[in-house]
Amino acid sequence: MAADLGMIMIGAGIAVGLTGLGAGLAEKDVGAAAVGAITEDVGLFGKAMVLMVLPETIVIFGLVIAILGVFVLPNM
Amino acid sequence: MSLPESMSRIVIVGSKSRLDEVTTALFEMGVFHLIDHTVDADEGFSIGSPRPYSAKASERLLALRAAEKDLGIRVKKVKDPPIAVNEVEKDIESGRVETIHADVIAAIDGRNEIDQRITELKALKDNLEKLSKLPIDLGFYRGYESLVVFVGSVKSDPSKALDAIEDIMYEVSFDKTEGVVAVFAKKDIKDKVSLALTENGYAEIPVPDIEGSPAEMLAKTDKDIEDSQAQLEAANAKIAELSEEYKSFIAASDEELSLKVQEGELPLRIATSEYSFVIDAWVPTKKLESAQKELEERMGGNIYMEVQETRGRSMHETEAQEERFQQTPTKCNNGKLGKRFEYAVSLVSIPKYQEIDPATLVSLFFPFFFGFMVGDLGYAIPFIVLGAYGMMKAKSKDFQSIGTVLFFGGIWAAIFGFFFFGEMLGMHFIGPETNTTVTWESLLGVKLPDWFQGLMVEASEGEYGVSKLHEVTMLLKLSVYMGCVHLFIAYVVGFMNGVRMHGFKEGYLEKGGWLFSFLGMVVFCYGLTEVLFCPDGISASMTTTTITILIVGAAILVLGVASCFPKEGAQAILELPGIVGNVLSYTRLAAIGMSKAGMALAFNYITFIMMWQTIGGIGGIIAGCVVFLIGHLMIWVLAILSAGLHGLRLQYVESMNKFFTGGGVLFAPLAIKRKHTKNFENIETEA
Repeated sequence: MAADLGMIMIGAGIAVGLTGLGAGLAEKDVGAAAVGAITEDVGLFGKAMVLMVLPETIVIFGLVIAILGVFVLPNM
Repeated sequence: MSLPESMSRIVIVGSKSRLDEVTTALFEMGVFHLIDHTVDADEGFSIGSPRPYSAKASERLLALRAAEKDLGIRVKKVKDPPIAVNEVEKDIESGRVETIHADVIAAIDGRNEIDQRITELKALKDNLEKLSKLPIDLGFYRGYESLVVFVGSVKSDPSKALDAIEDIMYEVSFDKTEGVVAVFAKKDIKDKVSLALTENGYAEIPVPDIEGSPAEMLAKTDKDIEDSQAQLEAANAKIAELSEEYKSFIAASDEELSLKVQEGELPLRIATSEYSFVIDAWVPTKKLESAQKELEERMGGNIYMEVQETRGRSMHETEAQEERFQQTPTKCNNGKLGKRFEYAVSLVSIPKYQEIDPATLVSLFFPFFFGFMVGDLGYAIPFIVLGAYGMMKAKSKDFQSIGTVLFFGGIWAAIFGFFFFGEMLGMHFIGPETNTTVTWESLLGVKLPDWFQGLMVEASEGEYGVSKLHEVTMLLKLSVYMGCVHLFIAYVVGFMNGVRMHGFKEGYLEKGGWLFSFLGMVVFCYGLTEVLFCPDGISASMTTTTITILIVGAAILVLGVASCFPKEGAQAILELPGIVGNVLSYTRLAAIGMSKAGMALAFNYITFIMMWQTIGGIGGIIAGCVVFLIGHLMIWVLAILSAGLHGLRLQYVESMNKFFTGGGVLFAPLAIKRKHTKNFENIETEA
């Protein structure tokens, strides 16, 4: 059981870690472009923010999987 | 959810000789959104030229702005009571702007002169300080026919080099790193001396054209500098005095002249012929009648007005018009709450005239989601206080809207935090202490009354308040359901927009199909999860109910895809996973709440169990309190960022993308906004 729990924890870590990396990679480019665009025209802030937070969904999915793994799986 | 206000297009025609009166009337009434005339739009008409008074007003405004800059006056910050318009006008006509400009220029020039003198005196002082190291009067440095005089600073002692040259006299004062030297030599050995000095880092000091000993002159210069400083202070005080004296008039006349310039340049936006003018403008339909009446009263029968159309919301109607009449301005039509969220919508785009303004929807769901994600009474109270403060005091639109979100979000957070989650600062009110968590009951050592428990949701037998870290499945499901409702509303609004803009058939094909695809996908996925996650295995889960749900879901889905297909093609199928993605995106509501609960749990554990119970003593208690404060403050700040941004994102990306096109133009009527001036008649009536 302890070994199973260990595997679940490792899985949760991988889920958050890799999705975090993915979101980070995506946001890196979006963020740089967004800051450039806002410097040119402050009115673009809203649109830039929408584009900026788009990739965050990736890490949220990872977080949800990790939460499910850590809190729900052991009780099943 | 409301459409922008209905607009009517009006055309006003009149004789050019009455243009000034009409202009004043249009500006004072403040309901006419001008439609710019384009070159060659109407035969025989061309764009007008500015009114004759405009050039003079511009010139005066320029002089005034220069004076503002010199005096450091910022018109926006002037808080003086307003001045009567006719007084300001009279003053401007009598040339007061020019007088002030001249006064200011004279004062500033005077100050600059003193400034310049001080700089020169300081340079002189610098030289005299160096020369005073030598025991030679200033008069001795000049007036020779056969001698050259070198006076300057040196970086090393030149005595040795100078001793080697015959027929010269010199004085040196040198201490450690630098010194001053004066050499008197015959003209024919000038080069020799020059070379000797250069080797010692010689730099010439210009000898001032005055007599007397340097020390005396230095004292005199010091006094001169002191006098000049006093004069400078007096000059600055004079400028400050001028600024104080004129700021009220400057602010008022700046406002008046800006309005004059604006009014004077109006003909540049309208059509004129040799003797007449034509003005096209949008007027909110509900103010149309009163506006027409007022204009008629003001102008008598001297102008001709005609209502051209009241623009409907159908795109066909708009597209049938001439290009310059197609863009209808948007005047948002929201209630008190919705109005506060118009700014958030405008960050993405201004709603089009034909579509539903999302501000009301945002005003309902954004604070609700924010509150659900925060979900803690302890964090909610500072949010409410800070939000109320921001709403009342903040001047900038950004802080106003942040304050609004914090206030209403805080109220939802308090409601969720107390009644649903039953917790404050990450600790439940009710319940026993375990080896990792504490509750308010165990912390305070009291038993809270039964009615208090009764206020909260009973999550399971004897457990009051939903635990964010235990009821994970339930919270995730709840988030998904909220998402379904939110998205359903968005799709319905999109469908309504489509029908209104393009008629039922086109609207259905464009947006209705998506509504059914969404509904079908939701029902089908619900059935699918019932089957796949059934604890008794897949075969046992295949009951009539689940199979019916699956079939109904699939049928609606096929209907939706089929409706979308003619317009969207393969996109209708490719977008289906996107619907699931959108719904699952709402799981962030639970996930962010949990991540905050997790952090709070960790800080509470460190404080109460590690520091207070295990370590104990005064040190433990103090260290615990520090961790508790810093930790919760951090969570609180993070809550603004994460709950705020993610709440907003759910509005912008998931919801508004389904129905909102944007790209409208804000209704900007010709208007007079007076702050520093006041109409004389108004003052009379008030008095």
